[in-house]
Amino acid sequence: MDPATRAVLRADPRLSRFEPLSRIIYCDDFDEGYNGWLGLIGNYEGSLDSMLPGYAQYLQPMLSPVTMWDTGSHGSHDGTYCLKTATRARKGSQNVSLKRVTFRHPGPIQFEGYFCFKPEASDLQLSELDVRAVGVLFDLQDGEAGSRRVMPHIRYLNALDGTPMLRWQYKQAKAPFAKIGTSGKTVSHYHLAPEGWEDVPDGGQKLCYNEVPTKINWHYLKIGFDLRAMRFTALQCNDRSFDVSKMSPMVIPAMANLWCMLNLAVFVETDVDKRAFLFLDSVCLSGDF
Amino acid sequence: MIRRSFTAVVARNETWTGEVATEPYECAWAGEAIVFVRALETRGGLRAAKARVQISPDGIHWVDEGTVFPMPAKKGDLTFGRVRHFGGFFRLAAKVPPRASVKVLVTLALKE
Repeated sequence: MDPATRAVLRADPRLSRFEPLSRIIYCDDFDEGYNGWLGLIGNYEGSLDSMLPGYAQYLQPMLSPVTMWDTGSHGSHDGTYCLKTATRARKGSQNVSLKRVTFRHPGPIQFEGYFCFKPEASDLQLSELDVRAVGVLFDLQDGEAGSRRVMPHIRYLNALDGTPMLRWQYKQAKAPFAKIGTSGKTVSHYHLAPEGWEDVPDGGQKLCYNEVPTKINWHYLKIGFDLRAMRFTALQCNDRSFDVSKMSPMVIPAMANLWCMLNLAVFVETDVDKRAFLFLDSVCLSGDF
Repeated sequence: MIRRSFTAVVARNETWTGEVATEPYECAWAGEAIVFVRALETRGGLRAAKARVQISPDGIHWVDEGTVFPMPAKKGDLTFGRVRHFGGFFRLAAKVPPRASVKVLVTLALKE
């Protein structure tokens, strides 16, 4: 980045906390609203009953001041509101929020955001192992000259069945496709199924959970990806940058109606019969074009 | 500046029986709400079934807000409740009579 561009970015407090590539595709501050973020819904045809069970649980995100029973509103990284994605109070429950756009140049892109996660503070216990995982995924497809739908998945596995895991993972394993309905036009695959996650090399990291379930600390996360090579280019959380050179995304054949798709999603999963919350203060998606 | 709004489906294709409630929805930014209930399927007698708005200081502890309206009694019926000044957390609770059930789509229309 040239010094003049850097100086402009650093002069704006909303941008100076990010390290965007040369063009900002969107920079969403949830004090201004939902900015096009919404809940994921599974594919269906004829009836909602045709949706795969894993998708049926998903609901809309919320704009939250992170309000706690013991103190009141915690507030966001700056301003009042952040985007809150909540699971149901059932072990293994997930929820996913996303934003859907398309890309105009198949080159490097980069997600940056400030996030934190907590279980619902319904017990007067530390509860640091109640959230199973939080993560980010892209859902991408080549332009019409290409042949790939590509889904890079990254998650922080906090705990599994009560055991601390404290590591970053990625997923390239594909889930089987299921036919939905009878027209022959609709299929679905449950790509967030629990199977198939692999550890990021040297991907262990301890985060700032804090000392009770009602205190939160915001964390910086960056994920880089190249839309031409369809490879990871960066993974950074706070002070740790990880080697992504051996990590692969999920790759499946291109689908009929998804050309140039650039979806960005965040997700959360609970490890106990208690709601887990992912809070996202702001998101900057940038690209080199 | 136009008034911001957001519509959230807070229960989708869920079959309700007995005492039931939607997942909590945090919406302190909104000043008014209409909550719609549409019956996708029904079973048994639902004429006595009522929905009621609940509010909460923290999303954990809930109390009736006072707004009560009928649940839809047959497939395709749509009912609603209109609420203002509901604090930070909102949910819809309902009581479905014994031996009856209703598959619902519950939609929360929020506006500044």
